Amino acid sequence: MPPNFYSHLQDDSSTTTSSETKEEWEWEIVHKTSWWGTSFQDLWAYRHLAIGLVRRDFLLVYQQTILGPFWVLLQPLLTLVTYVVVFGKVVGISTGGVPPVLFYLAGIVLWNLFNDSFTGISSTFRDNAQVFSKVYFPRLIIPVARLGGYLFHFGIQFGLLILVLGYYVLFHHVAVPSGRWLLLVPVAILLVGALSLALGLFFSVMTAKYRDMSHLLSLGIRLFMFLTPVIYPVSYVAEKWRWLVQLNPLTPLFELFRRALLGQGTVSVPQFAYCFTFTSVLLLAALLIFNKQGDKLIDIL
Amino acid sequence: MAEVVIQVEQLSKVYRLGTIGTGYLIQDLQRWWTTTVRKQQDPFFQLPGTHVSAGKSGQSQALWALQDLNFEVKRGEVWGIIGNNGAGKSTLLKIISRIIRPSHGIIRGKGKVSSLLEVGTGFHPELSGRENIFLSGYILGMSKREVQAKFDEIVAFSGVEHFLDTPVKRYSSGMYVRLAFAVAAHLEPDILIIDEVLAVGDAEFQKKCLGKMREVAHNQGRTILFVSHSMAAITSLCDHGLWLQQGQLKAQGTVGQVVNQYLVSTQQSNAKQSWNDPAQAPGNEHIRFKQVELIPQLVQPDAPLDIRTPLTVKFQFWNFTSDTVISTSMVLFSAGGECIFDVPSTATRFQAGIVSGECTIPGNFLNDGAYYISLYVIKDTTTSLFDYEHCLTFELEDYRGEIQWFGKWWGAVRPVFPFRLTQTEFSQLEARL
Repeated sequence: MPPNFYSHLQDDSSTTTSSETKEEWEWEIVHKTSWWGTSFQDLWAYRHLAIGLVRRDFLLVYQQTILGPFWVLLQPLLTLVTYVVVFGKVVGISTGGVPPVLFYLAGIVLWNLFNDSFTGISSTFRDNAQVFSKVYFPRLIIPVARLGGYLFHFGIQFGLLILVLGYYVLFHHVAVPSGRWLLLVPVAILLVGALSLALGLFFSVMTAKYRDMSHLLSLGIRLFMFLTPVIYPVSYVAEKWRWLVQLNPLTPLFELFRRALLGQGTVSVPQFAYCFTFTSVLLLAALLIFNKQGDKLIDIL
Repeated sequence: MAEVVIQVEQLSKVYRLGTIGTGYLIQDLQRWWTTTVRKQQDPFFQLPGTHVSAGKSGQSQALWALQDLNFEVKRGEVWGIIGNNGAGKSTLLKIISRIIRPSHGIIRGKGKVSSLLEVGTGFHPELSGRENIFLSGYILGMSKREVQAKFDEIVAFSGVEHFLDTPVKRYSSGMYVRLAFAVAAHLEPDILIIDEVLAVGDAEFQKKCLGKMREVAHNQGRTILFVSHSMAAITSLCDHGLWLQQGQLKAQGTVGQVVNQYLVSTQQSNAKQSWNDPAQAPGNEHIRFKQVELIPQLVQPDAPLDIRTPLTVKFQFWNFTSDTVISTSMVLFSAGGECIFDVPSTATRFQAGIVSGECTIPGNFLNDGAYYISLYVIKDTTTSLFDYEHCLTFELEDYRGEIQWFGKWWGAVRPVFPFRLTQTEFSQLEARL
């Protein structure tokens, strides 16, 4: 394993005088930055910080607001109304037999997870420049805490989705999701989270270096939503253009999510394997870049 | 012999001006195109006087924030790091705290390092005092259990018990600083790194902080690296000194020696002026000064002038008048122009020639600060012959001895008068509160 920032010396042969040969240093700081960055133990030692940051972010958003935590639910509900009216009634996009309310809500909730955590993580360096330049802790804590926070938000919104689904099952004869498919729901959620973390880490380095990147990002992610089956099912896309949507690694995840919960969605094993490989490779690469570039970025910030 | 806990070897940090990036992708691409592809001058960083060399090679000027530092810190030592602004003190602390990486060299160490480079790192104004104690503790590297165990102590030290659940944005700045320092003061690392945190807060708070730091250093045996501009604080708290100047290690050793060397180098003084030719000397047709000199009576030759030092002023002037009653006034002003005293000499009848004078300001009389002296030559004790303004300037450093208070000492002068307290009666008195 490559040496960490505070690594144990593997060999202490290079020390200068004989009296020092027995010295055992617990850490050393050298000019090289490492790809692997902080060890897992180091991250674990700061777990309370991660939890504290999630708690802080949650408290901050809802302090001095009238509705408090209900905003977490209000936001997807208002978006839902807009989508049902605009895309459902006015434009008339087919939802493939699923009640539009359920269809859109599932899309919105999952897209919110991706959108929020990606945007949140991508500004890691810019938002925390002050803290990063004054105290040391594994910098990965911040993006991980952000992801944790948005997963928590997602949990609440997911609860709303389940309630709405329950209502439709009871009163509108929507089929109860089957048990085997339900097992895949957490997989889809985790992969969306991992993908947003990977992209977020990568762009956090980019936006720290290039401020104009953040404008590009907010534009890009809005366009990206239309390449993702949030407001339409993949089956609705014309055969000619379907490959474009299926190139998007989020597509199988959204389809899987809907297939598992609502019983409608087109996802195949190769597509899922593609998405899984894509996400894993990207996450690994992003972690390496984040660690390698992180130390250099502190000089720029 | 105590073991070495921090070993710094050939440590350097270099910033290359102009290689970091412009912060805009489009500009960076443009720059890469012009400097690397077309081999032309950098369009965004043009250094004055280095147009050709900087442009041709695409290289830029280097700024050495730290250059080839070597030192070792042993367990339980308290080091004071001193130097002017921009000397690299904060850079050094940041590298040891792992915030930034060195460019060359290596630092090895043992034990957990905590750094306090700023009061209130991780504080969020919207959160309550309680939340902030925990969050700040976590950021500084404490575990949940540690914060919980220290919580009451932290609150007691900060003195904000009644406002624990108030958002800290509603705190007074003093309360905010007290709470922030209280968290950091209860860290329990093996090595503690502190940067100029005493610059904030009132005298009472500074005293409390220094007391706490002294307790941490001496009773608990922590290793401490401490940066401050207050030489009084450094001298009282530290046992070793490290003097950085423009990134280089100027001196290291016991704190007294290093602080003295530093102060001597920074003291602005104009202690001697002399002229051989009366035509160029300051003066007029009656009087021309030949020499003015300030001679401090130092105990140690390398020590700076401090408030204990007796200062002798010697001067000579050419007297072109004959058979005149001449006296001289020595007037001492603070740097702000406030007159501290005006001491006249005896008036004596002099003939044309050279007249010499000497006057001694005793030690333990002036307060610390910067001063200048003017000499007024007077005829018949009434008429001014020549006023030589600003002829000598000097600075006096503070010296407190055993007094453990570091606020600015009041008063234009700080004389030592006989002053005794005695107990005149013994009796059991009940405290009336």
